[in-house]
Amino acid sequence: MAATSKSTVLLKAVKKITIQFCPFESNVRSTREFLALVGSAKARSTNMNCEVISVVKHDKSEPVIDITYVDGERLVMKGERLTCREMLSAFQSRCKDKDPQNSIASKR
Amino acid sequence: MTYFLLKMSATLCLKLQRNQGWLPLIQSVRHGSKAVTRHKKPLHFLKQKLIAVTRYIPPARTIPPGVYTSEKKHVQEDNEFILLLKKKLEEVFEECKMIGVVQTNPCGVDDMLMLRHRLGKHDIKIKFFPNQVMLSFLSNSVYSNMAPLFIGPTVLFVSKEPKVKEMLSALRVSPQMTLLGACIDNTLLSAQGVVRYSKLPSLTVVQGELVSGLTMLTSRTAFMLQHHPAHLSALLQQYIKQQSPDGGAEATPKGEEAS
Repeated sequence: MAATSKSTVLLKAVKKITIQFCPFESNVRSTREFLALVGSAKARSTNMNCEVISVVKHDKSEPVIDITYVDGERLVMKGERLTCREMLSAFQSRCKDKDPQNSIASKR
Repeated sequence: MTYFLLKMSATLCLKLQRNQGWLPLIQSVRHGSKAVTRHKKPLHFLKQKLIAVTRYIPPARTIPPGVYTSEKKHVQEDNEFILLLKKKLEEVFEECKMIGVVQTNPCGVDDMLMLRHRLGKHDIKIKFFPNQVMLSFLSNSVYSNMAPLFIGPTVLFVSKEPKVKEMLSALRVSPQMTLLGACIDNTLLSAQGVVRYSKLPSLTVVQGELVSGLTMLTSRTAFMLQHHPAHLSALLQQYIKQQSPDGGAEATPKGEEAS
């Protein structure tokens, strides 16, 4: 099970997260866990404007997580061979990079 | 020197005494050995070869089954609670025509209550079973193809009648629920299949369409058979009407003239 090192998932710099997967495939576990973490009430409470959209398909396509940040940057993760932790760490590192910039800019 | 002589006599005596059945007086132990015997004396090459050729190879014995206890026996122990859950699952699968599998992200209690209320109006219940129990039950039953759906936090939407539209509308309102699939009338459907199922017309409408489609051909042949005599009879009737209004028209003006 995905155990996060830091349990808070900050979505402040995120505009939209689209997660698409096909639940009948076997490579979907990490994507679903990522969805469970990102879609939780805590994560949503960090940013109410952020949309978390999940698309369920049935065409044997690979699971894809598409994150659009507030400043227009996109992060596309193909979850077929990635674990949930890897995806979460990549996501959180980018969020941190953007968030301290925003907080420093706002303090100044 | 004397030792050497003793040894000589001993070896000679050995041979003499063996023949007579006497026990040996002296047995030489260190015959043919060098002074230092702390290390292993290197074998003569021929002796080494002989030992290598005639080395003992034990027969390969197969391990008889059941000697080593397998670990699978521990897994088979089922808790009574798990048995109870399985019984409940069986009842659910027998009773309910519609079973929807939904991934729920952990949401607040209020949202859950609202959702339960909304679904309870249409007699749709929300049931939770642990994934392990679910998977072990499914692998034994007919519904084994549903097994890959049950990863992560999942919840069952169960109802006796397939009220798909209401379920879909309730799910659309709550953003944290994602419909993964459903088992409706013992058929496994994906999310898109469920949407298509909801768009189907009701059973009576479909039956009526089917009946009309089947009888269309027969009605057409009947029409074609009856077409000619019907046309003829229609023409004859028209002719009669033409005849009689002429008579009637003559009679009525005569009546008007008379009046």
